[in-house]
Amino acid sequence: MFPWNYGFHFGAASYIFLGAFYTVLLVVATTIVNALWRANRDLSKGKVEDIRWHSDFHDLSAADRTCRHVLTGEFTSRECPHAFDCRQCETHARLIALHPPVHAAEAEEEIFGMSFPLDRMYHRGHTWARPETDGTVTVGLDDLGSRLLGTPDAVDLPQPGSRVQANGTAFRFHKREARVRVLSPVDGEVVETGGVDRGFFLRVKPLDGLMDMRHLLRDAEVKPWLMRELERLQLALTMEGASIPSLADGGVPVADIAAAYPHTDWDAVCGEMFLEP
Amino acid sequence: MIAETKKTPAARYGMSIDVDRCNGCGSCMVACAVENNVPPAASGATDRTGLTWIRVFRIDNGAEGSGRRSAFVPVLCQHCGKDAPCVSVCPQQAVDVDPATGIVGQMPERCLGCRYCMAACPYHARYFNWWDPTWPAGMEKTLNPDVAPRMRGVVEKCNFCHGRWHAAKAKAVANGKNEIDPADYIPACVEACPSGAIHFGKLNDPATETAQGARHPDSFRMLESLGTDPKIYYHSKKNWVREISSAPRPGLAKENARG
Amino acid sequence: MVREMAKEMDKEFMTRGVRRCSTPRFLLWLAPWVAMLLFGAYSAGLCLVKGLNQTNMDNRYAFGLWIFVDLTIIALGAGAFFTGFLLYILKFKELRAVINSAVVIGLVCYSGAMAALMVDVGQPLRAWFTFWYPNVHSMLTEVTFCISCYLCVLFIEYLPIVLKNRKLRDIPSFLVFEFELHKLIYVLAGVGTFLSFFHQGSLGGLYGVLRGRPFAFREGIFVWPSTFFLFIISAAAVGPSFLIFTTWLVEKITGKRLAKDRVFDLLARISGILLSVYVLAKTIDTLIWINRTSPALGFTASQYYDWKPFGTWILFAEIVLCGLVPALILLTPRLRAQRAWLIPAAALACCGVALNRYVQTVQTLALPTLSFDKFLSYTPSWQEVGTFLGVLAYGVLVYSFSFRYFRIFPEERELKTEVRLQQEEEPVLAGRF
Repeated sequence: MFPWNYGFHFGAASYIFLGAFYTVLLVVATTIVNALWRANRDLSKGKVEDIRWHSDFHDLSAADRTCRHVLTGEFTSRECPHAFDCRQCETHARLIALHPPVHAAEAEEEIFGMSFPLDRMYHRGHTWARPETDGTVTVGLDDLGSRLLGTPDAVDLPQPGSRVQANGTAFRFHKREARVRVLSPVDGEVVETGGVDRGFFLRVKPLDGLMDMRHLLRDAEVKPWLMRELERLQLALTMEGASIPSLADGGVPVADIAAAYPHTDWDAVCGEMFLEP
Repeated sequence: MIAETKKTPAARYGMSIDVDRCNGCGSCMVACAVENNVPPAASGATDRTGLTWIRVFRIDNGAEGSGRRSAFVPVLCQHCGKDAPCVSVCPQQAVDVDPATGIVGQMPERCLGCRYCMAACPYHARYFNWWDPTWPAGMEKTLNPDVAPRMRGVVEKCNFCHGRWHAAKAKAVANGKNEIDPADYIPACVEACPSGAIHFGKLNDPATETAQGARHPDSFRMLESLGTDPKIYYHSKKNWVREISSAPRPGLAKENARG
Repeated sequence: MVREMAKEMDKEFMTRGVRRCSTPRFLLWLAPWVAMLLFGAYSAGLCLVKGLNQTNMDNRYAFGLWIFVDLTIIALGAGAFFTGFLLYILKFKELRAVINSAVVIGLVCYSGAMAALMVDVGQPLRAWFTFWYPNVHSMLTEVTFCISCYLCVLFIEYLPIVLKNRKLRDIPSFLVFEFELHKLIYVLAGVGTFLSFFHQGSLGGLYGVLRGRPFAFREGIFVWPSTFFLFIISAAAVGPSFLIFTTWLVEKITGKRLAKDRVFDLLARISGILLSVYVLAKTIDTLIWINRTSPALGFTASQYYDWKPFGTWILFAEIVLCGLVPALILLTPRLRAQRAWLIPAAALACCGVALNRYVQTVQTLALPTLSFDKFLSYTPSWQEVGTFLGVLAYGVLVYSFSFRYFRIFPEERELKTEVRLQQEEEPVLAGRF
């Protein structure tokens, strides 16, 4: 094998050939080792939730990744480049400076028969975050999310003291065949857990200072977003084979939508609406 | 691998086979098998799966009735020149052309059994061990201790009785000589041939009978047009025999040779 | 109760939003393939234990069914590297719909070919000799190195598909590793393309360099005979066709739509263009071979086709029937838009490549070289056929398993609506007449 071996002929062709192959092997090995090392680093830095969300976001269809500013008509079409984390987005900062948020009085509370109170901010995964006077933030499911959840078979809440991340997992639930995780709107440490009957799911304390909630929807943004969400729900139900009267002509979703569609794949519908592909 | 001997000038061993003398007796085939520990054919072996390092073919001139003439041609590894087709194709470098002797050597210990060399050889001179070698009880006493038998799944072929070359070399060294005595190195088939049809010797030594036979105008090599530069020269006075050196012509089967 | 639990667990591993047949039905589908695999294992076992005398190969037919099948499935599995190249390097985004399927097919083809090769060689345990004593002038060394490296690359490309399984993804280390690996996928795609280029080529070079076989021998550029380049082009041409064919087949078997029409259209166009290039190159090469290369070695080309049953019909079939005809169909937009034209064209292209590999392996060995050779024939033994069937069964099993639990066709979910709408339209039409 080696040049000094008895009678083995090692010429220029040998160097080129073997050189090429061992280079290729080296490249492949380096790639794997690199991936492993980075993965290890991610694990030790606790970036699992972050990566889970980025991976999920990448797998969403293009229509589901629309920028919030398309919903409010500022763009005709734009895909979110930051996985719905508007805190990082320069365009969002610029647009907020150009078009300051609409006055609260012009926003509506009752939209399409569902209640979207103005005292809280909404996450695109159908959770809301309400800042409390003691500096904590209450997290709950919005009206549409609650109707999708209906009476769940099980809700898997995090332990008090554990951390949640914005766009990470807040809690999980089981409903019929659905097994879905719900996204957290905020970062922080869980101080209290609630439940379906208590009107909220989590109370979260920010880790350092104030809670940054620029990435959440509020006031006049909510109605166009919700309109889109109802269209998405209709599409999801159609895809899963439900023949339904159109919701756009004024029908209101019932309190437990799943009960109205007993043969529909509820796992698929919830996955669609709670942004878990 | 074979050592490059720098002290002795390189030999180019070859053969000159007189087809007119060959009577098809097959002694060469038997002697070769005995010398080289070729196992007897396993049950189920056919003429296409047997091991015959040298094999005598019968050819005829294609004429019918009284005009028909036959001849016998022993075919073995032609020990092609430095660009032997089987050398460059072996993925494990198990084949090489020995610069000291010109012999195309096969290393069964290194052979993977991929049979690429068999596809490459136009002379069908390479044989594969389709079975494990077995000798009937008692026959193992006839085995030649100087030659290693081959295992199942490897290729083997004529190597000009290389074991005899080693013995001749050892003898020459013991006698303090550089070159081996030609009388000491005679392959088994050459020795066995009753009509002396096969001559073996150094082609690059003009004095040898082999070299003279090779230079004769009636000499030919098989498939010379392929550029393999083989070291086996065949010799015949008959035109129709000399035609076997060229490519097969199925359309002209009547006039040409049939296996 | 246990059955219910088993079904529940099975469902948890399936991708969200897609329907898969029930567990008992899946096991029923698997059963004959498992039986075939066991038969294949038995046949291969016989060959490994008793020796290659179990096959009908002999000293004249040193290569037989296995080598022919290996070459064909490696050419068909070329879809893996070529689709990867088109998607990750040339950014043909539509091919995202079929890349996973291509990777699984590639993995199955290459690993199956390697398995068959290990049975084919006389001493499989010496396989590492090629790596330790490499003969860099031999095409087979090149093939061995390239295919081994490429098989590793394919395993690594298959890994993210496995790790993205719904349940496995919940394991943090799997999730994170898959994410990081996917970021570097273009490196693997590039390496895969480089390796595939060379091994598809060297497989062609295997026969093109044989001076002792004027039927196969070709001139070329530097150390590479023309068959080197012809094999690359034909493999690249037939990879997309095979993808078309297998996607359609899976659609038929599962009763689902798995890829949008524009994906089929793109694959057909690419295949058609490359197939045309191949037909042109092959025609030129054949003419040079007939008029110059073969006569220079003392063998006239017409004589090859005098040996029955290999007549000139084989050349015609290879170049025109299975080359030019599918190329023209695939290049015609109106024809390739209809499945009734597209699928047979793709299948014909695949047959063309199979025929080409057959000609290079079996026909080369069948034709005599010595003037007193006889023309001999060869039929594979049942053990050889059994081993091949085992490889086929292995492929179907791996693919079935992958299809059931992994997201092989990302567009499947979107396309569910279209199937339903079509089904809803039909009753309306029926009512009219």
